[in-house]
Amino acid sequence: MAEKRRPTAPVAGASEARRASPARGLATESEEEFLRQAGVTSMLRAALLKVLEARPDEPLPFLAHYFDNLGLRSPANGGAGEPPGLLLLQQQRIGRALWHLRLAHHSQRTAFNNNVSVAYECLSASGRKKRPGLDGRTYSELLKRICRDGEAPEEIVSPLLQKIQCRDHEAVPFDIFRYGMLTCFVLLEFVARADALYEVLDDSGQADRRVCQAVLDTLEGALLAGDFEAPSRYLEAGSQLGPDCLALAMDRALLARKSNSAMLRDEFLEKAASLFIAKVRPVG
Amino acid sequence: MSRVQVPCHIKGAVALQVGDVRTVQGRPGVLVIDVTFPTAGPFELQEITFKNYYTAFLSIRVRQMLCDMDKVLELRLILRQPSPLWLNFTLEELQFFQHGPQSPSSAFTKWLSHPAPYEQPALLLQQALPDPDKVSSEVQQMWMLTEMIRANRTTARIGRFDVDGCYDLNLLSYT
Repeated sequence: MAEKRRPTAPVAGASEARRASPARGLATESEEEFLRQAGVTSMLRAALLKVLEARPDEPLPFLAHYFDNLGLRSPANGGAGEPPGLLLLQQQRIGRALWHLRLAHHSQRTAFNNNVSVAYECLSASGRKKRPGLDGRTYSELLKRICRDGEAPEEIVSPLLQKIQCRDHEAVPFDIFRYGMLTCFVLLEFVARADALYEVLDDSGQADRRVCQAVLDTLEGALLAGDFEAPSRYLEAGSQLGPDCLALAMDRALLARKSNSAMLRDEFLEKAASLFIAKVRPVG
Repeated sequence: MSRVQVPCHIKGAVALQVGDVRTVQGRPGVLVIDVTFPTAGPFELQEITFKNYYTAFLSIRVRQMLCDMDKVLELRLILRQPSPLWLNFTLEELQFFQHGPQSPSSAFTKWLSHPAPYEQPALLLQQALPDPDKVSSEVQQMWMLTEMIRANRTTARIGRFDVDGCYDLNLLSYT
């Protein structure tokens, strides 16, 4: 039977071979079987699922990076000649964990939690460490890396780390790890929003100190009201933070005092972040 | 909040036990009191008051026409006193109340019942304020992020000050 040439892309050699003439019976079976036994099929399936979950802007580089990070290379398969030192291994692990953590935005809760689990496992793997599990030192390193890569100012990062860091020798359980990761990423977004807010307040090239303080005080008031568990506090906060109330607060602040100095961006961000950090639960 | 007492007919406490009440001497510790409301139709039950006489546990079964306490028809109070020390127990001075004729709920939060009087921003003409809509949008997002972190608190503990049992008092006393 003549083989027809089809103008399809060579997706998977096995399926194409199946569509060809049936005279190739034995060869077809062994190709599919070979791929399955080598683990290629399941690995490709996992890779495609990851792409679908993350929906990156550039899927092909994403896939390339994904395979790179799987750490498949061993000396026997032509990878690095010598096994790398302990410190390098740890850096690699942290890098890999970071990559997993950045796959989904924290608001995509299920995907984010999955990625946190994978990152935790990646860091806890025994490898050449004496004891399996995540130690406090690696956890603290990871927190600092996330904040540094997110370009959060040091004055904001260190009070947060004081609250959520663990001591170097402590074993970090998964729940604490998850909370720490979530807090870091949410803080980075909070600082970004505070920055955008400063831009709005800074319209004439000078952010009036009275106006900035009034807005921060209103936010603090809305957060304080939330120490009770009623759902009505969301409505109450919403009305306090609506445009009318904020306009009134800003207006009153300008009338109250005569000073006209400006508040700098760093000071504004630090004050805003302290409102956030106050609501973070400390570890230990 | 006003309340109106509902006239009720309380059928006597019946001790539940196996066998004939008259011939078998026993104190089962379970009493049932049935309450009907023959004169009042189905009503919304607001409050039950009573004076307890050595009852330990109380269960209430309600026969009603709709969900919640709307349109209550009958009530059954099941009293339990498992201790043999209290052979006699009951509820005294049972009274039932429903909503008063007009009871505006006084539990409005202040933002609903006392809306801020409309104040015209005084300085609007003199000095331009930053756009309140944009400010509000950013501040609300910041509020939401903070609330999320507060709500997501983990209950896990690092166990920093947990001891692993080697400070047991018995072991210490051997030194």
